[in-house]
Amino acid sequence: MSTWRARLGRLFPTLVLIASALFFLLPVLSSARFALQKVPMVLLNWSNVFDGWSLRTLSQPFKEDNFWPTLSLSLKLAGGTVALTLGLLVPTALFVHLRLPKARAFVEFLTVLPYVVPPIALVAGVAAFFRPNARWYLNSEYALVPLYVVMALPFTYRSIDAGIKAIDVRTLVDASRSLGAGWVTTFRRALFPNLMSSLVSSSFLTATVVLGEFTMANTLAKRTFPTFLYEYYGLKAQSGTALALMTLIGTTALLGIFTLFTRRRGARVPTRF
Amino acid sequence: MSALTFDAVRKTFGTAVALEGLSIDVEQGELISLLGPSGCGKTTALRIAAGFERADSGTVQVRGNDITKVPPHKRNMGMVFQSYSLFPNLTVEANVEYGLRTRGIPRHQRHERVAEMLALVELTTMATRYAHQLSGGQQQRVALARALAIQPEVLLLDEPLSALDAKVRTTLRDEIRRIQTSVGITTLFVTHDQEEALAISDRICVMSQGRIEQLGTPTEVYRHPTTAFVARFVGTMNELPAEVTGGNEVAVLGTRLSAPKADAFAQGTRVKLLVRPEDLTISESGLAGTVTSVTFQGASTLVGVRLDVLDRLVSVDVGQGAADHLTIGDRVGVGVNGTHAVCEAAE
Ligand SMILES: Nc1ncnc2c1ncn2[C@@H]1O[C@H](COP(=O)(O)OP(=O)(O)OP(=O)(O)O)[C@@H](O)[C@H]1O
Ligand SMILES: [Mg+2]
Repeated sequence: MSTWRARLGRLFPTLVLIASALFFLLPVLSSARFALQKVPMVLLNWSNVFDGWSLRTLSQPFKEDNFWPTLSLSLKLAGGTVALTLGLLVPTALFVHLRLPKARAFVEFLTVLPYVVPPIALVAGVAAFFRPNARWYLNSEYALVPLYVVMALPFTYRSIDAGIKAIDVRTLVDASRSLGAGWVTTFRRALFPNLMSSLVSSSFLTATVVLGEFTMANTLAKRTFPTFLYEYYGLKAQSGTALALMTLIGTTALLGIFTLFTRRRGARVPTRF
Repeated sequence: MSALTFDAVRKTFGTAVALEGLSIDVEQGELISLLGPSGCGKTTALRIAAGFERADSGTVQVRGNDITKVPPHKRNMGMVFQSYSLFPNLTVEANVEYGLRTRGIPRHQRHERVAEMLALVELTTMATRYAHQLSGGQQQRVALARALAIQPEVLLLDEPLSALDAKVRTTLRDEIRRIQTSVGITTLFVTHDQEEALAISDRICVMSQGRIEQLGTPTEVYRHPTTAFVARFVGTMNELPAEVTGGNEVAVLGTRLSAPKADAFAQGTRVKLLVRPEDLTISESGLAGTVTSVTFQGASTLVGVRLDVLDRLVSVDVGQGAADHLTIGDRVGVGVNGTHAVCEAAE
């Protein structure tokens, strides 16, 4: 009886792992079949799992006129959002930690608020306000950047905050200052190198949010990569699915690389200053 | 002129008073310990000296120059913190070099100075390690080297030993004292450990609730505590009920003895007499009691005696060998020497 239980106890986590892997992998595999098999969708079944595979559809999206411009806009938006996010949040988080520790819970609460506001509500409000007052802003290529900063806030602030909590900022800052360093030097030499990995992961989170956002871009009629993907899928379902697959794999690969990178940082790569 | 002066420094945090008009003169090359229970304002005093906190009123001076408004990075003070404070991204060497770089000292001089400092704290072989590759004691030695490298005017140490285990504490404590005297640097040393303060200091500043209770040499503080708080906080005390019989005399359970400063109380006042274990003796006469414990402590032996009349335990510190014949349950007498006793009003 007890050995039976112990065996089940050992088996259970493995079963959960397999079940969740299937839950994620099956849709991906189905998409792959749809995108890469030269078999009409209605005829796809177990008997022809291995028939007619071809990588031809993978190269199709790159030939589209809108592919590169939209990808480049999305990358620019991601870059801008990352820069603005770090520029705003790092000083804020440090300030809260060093000077207003009592306000920490409140600030954390503020940063999760965007999570409960639907993107469509946010963008509709912004558009309604700026259209009569500052049209130039909505016309700008980068109008989405501030919106994305707000949208990514719940993830990015937490990640930066966790990085700050992991080191004893207060003591490091005090030590650096007592050794004659002003604020700039203190940040550059004592804080930044030790916050590096959390800043990198925060940037990555921001970038993934930007690269996948559709609602806001579509509402403001910006030609970003997700809007292209949506349109393209409407026109050519099969290569559209292929593109979605590549995007998924690309993002996962990036995630893997960054995880590796932050691991290595954790092991303390020597930094000279 | 004093190397470091606190002049009527007051500091509050909201409604909490951390320092209530603190005035201390630290002489050149002197080590003063700030000793007191948790929350008495020791760290606050140190942080005000370093410039991390601003005093509400009062001034801080270095060699007569008012530095109250000077920001920390322009103060030239070396500080060692209670928690480990080495920069985790830098090697031992680079940590020690940090303050020299911010001062723009040329490379070869920096290297010379780093080598000198590491030799001083005996960590030359660890130069290329990172903080996480060092023991706690080694980390604090690097922190000390880092603080001393900049040749500060004052060294500030905030409970640098409290995170270490007992054995390392005593060796590092003695090492800090050795280095401090050899460099001849004016030092403020914060601790809540009276033994540490007694061992290391030129003078001890006993604090309570933001005020100075007594400022004096270790002997003065231990032998002639001016207040009951100091008497209790520094070292251990036995408490005996007594009555002031006039002048500097008290009666303890019928035995008359002289006690300093008993004349501060009116004749007939009931007081508590605070007596150190080494001022009690085991004798044939004296207060009768039963031995309840015999604790061998190396150089001396601590004997616990339950007094018959009081039904109270006192501890008696007897010299080497003198307690060898004692065992638990023995009937003994306890003699009292009041020369160093302190009278405290009984409530
Ligand atoms: N930043 C702060 N905000 C609010 N109150 C503070 C702050 N720093 C210190 N205090 C208060 O001031 C008083 C003195 O604190 P301080 O840290 O100087 O004590 P301490 O003697 O160093 O104690 P410990 O031995 O526990 O380190 C305490 O009552 C403390 O609660
Ligand atoms: Mg303290």
